[in-house]
Amino acid sequence: MVVLGIESSAHTFGVGVSENGKILSNEKVMYPIGAGGIIPAKAADFHAENANQIIKSALAKAGLTMGDITGVGYTRGPGLGPCLRIGQLTAKTIAAKYSIPIMPVNHALGHIEVARLAVGFKDPIVLYVSGGNSQILGFTEEKFKHYHIYGETFDIGIGNMLDSFAREAKLNPAWGSSVAKLAENGKYFDMPYTVKGMDFTFTGLLTNAVKCLADHDPKDVAFSLQETGFAMVCEAAERALLLTKKREILLSGGVAQSKRLSEMMNLIAKAHSFRMYNAPNEYNADNGAMIAVVAEKMLDAGMQKPIEKCDINQKYRVDSAEVRW
Amino acid sequence: MVTGKISEGAEAVIYETEVLDIPAVVKDRIKKEYRIAKLDDEIRRARTKKEARILALASSKGVNVPRVLLVEEHRLYLTKLDGGTLNVLKPSKKAFGDAGRMLAKLHNINVSHGDYTPANLLLDKSGRLWIIDFGLAEITNSVEEKALDILLMKRSVGKAEYRDFAEAYAKGSDRSEGILERLGEIERRGRYQTRTLLTG
Repeated sequence: MVVLGIESSAHTFGVGVSENGKILSNEKVMYPIGAGGIIPAKAADFHAENANQIIKSALAKAGLTMGDITGVGYTRGPGLGPCLRIGQLTAKTIAAKYSIPIMPVNHALGHIEVARLAVGFKDPIVLYVSGGNSQILGFTEEKFKHYHIYGETFDIGIGNMLDSFAREAKLNPAWGSSVAKLAENGKYFDMPYTVKGMDFTFTGLLTNAVKCLADHDPKDVAFSLQETGFAMVCEAAERALLLTKKREILLSGGVAQSKRLSEMMNLIAKAHSFRMYNAPNEYNADNGAMIAVVAEKMLDAGMQKPIEKCDINQKYRVDSAEVRW
Repeated sequence: MVTGKISEGAEAVIYETEVLDIPAVVKDRIKKEYRIAKLDDEIRRARTKKEARILALASSKGVNVPRVLLVEEHRLYLTKLDGGTLNVLKPSKKAFGDAGRMLAKLHNINVSHGDYTPANLLLDKSGRLWIIDFGLAEITNSVEEKALDILLMKRSVGKAEYRDFAEAYAKGSDRSEGILERLGEIERRGRYQTRTLLTG
């Protein structure tokens, strides 16, 4: 089996190729985010313009041609509608033209499965943190095999919070890491900390941080914001670990690239003798290989979909995505 | 004087102890290395204080909860209850009726428990039912929070037990109609159905 995976849920258009559970290539291009953040329609135009080129280079890197591909996968959701649409249309076109099976993939599942391939774990609690998503996940067979959402943000994703703050503080794009840089040598002051059981909210924290920019040293604000936000998701993850008695932690998603968050999760792992895993940054950022990896598993499990049923779903929750393998 | 560890949760360890010769338990909110010291101290201090305040309120209004003996910065000393929790014991039907009555009493004084499951209901030797672990409790008049308490119990017990529980709750609650209506709404929102599936 040789499967092509297309990811286009946000600002990244990525294409990866996997063959029998091995990643052969992983190419991508990113819509340049300016001060305005992602404008969905413009990002979609950008993806459409680049689709052909990225597919070609992914095939070239894998040393294959389109005729070698035996299945195609695309991100069904969650994500931005116009952006998802480009990946979906590209995949449907390929599936129709080459008469190969097509698989709609859940984005979060992509991050988890590609990390499993890269670092090898069995049954972790997943702290999935990115721009639009922040969730605590764990595999269960109750009712059907899937990832249960033990806790999640009630409003915005933690990455989105860091980005919005970065824009207000007039930092350079590459927002999350700009905040981390500004936070170096910052001092802590109190910020609103909102965890309810295993759920959390970030808008109150964001509003407070933006307000504090007026009369505090920006580096202290950045430091306090980051420490508070990260501590919130860590507490929720720790609670899920103790509740489920799972003994592995996977830190995943775009914000998983944060050194400080990784350090904090490591301390939790150490305190309970859990094992902590973090995928290489290449797979924590959005990418096409993760979609190829899941699509291949789906194909193997007979989960291909008739082309006319291949839709997108901006709010495709991971707990409704069956894990049949 | 601390003797044996009783249980260890995500944020606190519970030990057996004595306060002025009274058998007691101490709930010790433990230091978390992953949080910077100032934030860690603030969280543990604020939560300890809040839990003490809620317990004192519930106790003064006749809800069966452990009495607060002593409050330290990060530690809460409570009267020790002898008995077993409903998830471990094989309780009689009456116990679930009591659980409903007791929750109604708690909600009537605008306290939500936040983790109302059989594991947090203790039956003592004389057959009295007590609510324990107020770590996630809130002072609130939110219908949603109260409905979530009921939902969590519904997901944690069998149909017959829930019926006894809900009947007693409806009888005892000042606002049962609105709360039970909200419960139905929450259950129809797909999200909480799966959400609460396993957290009980």
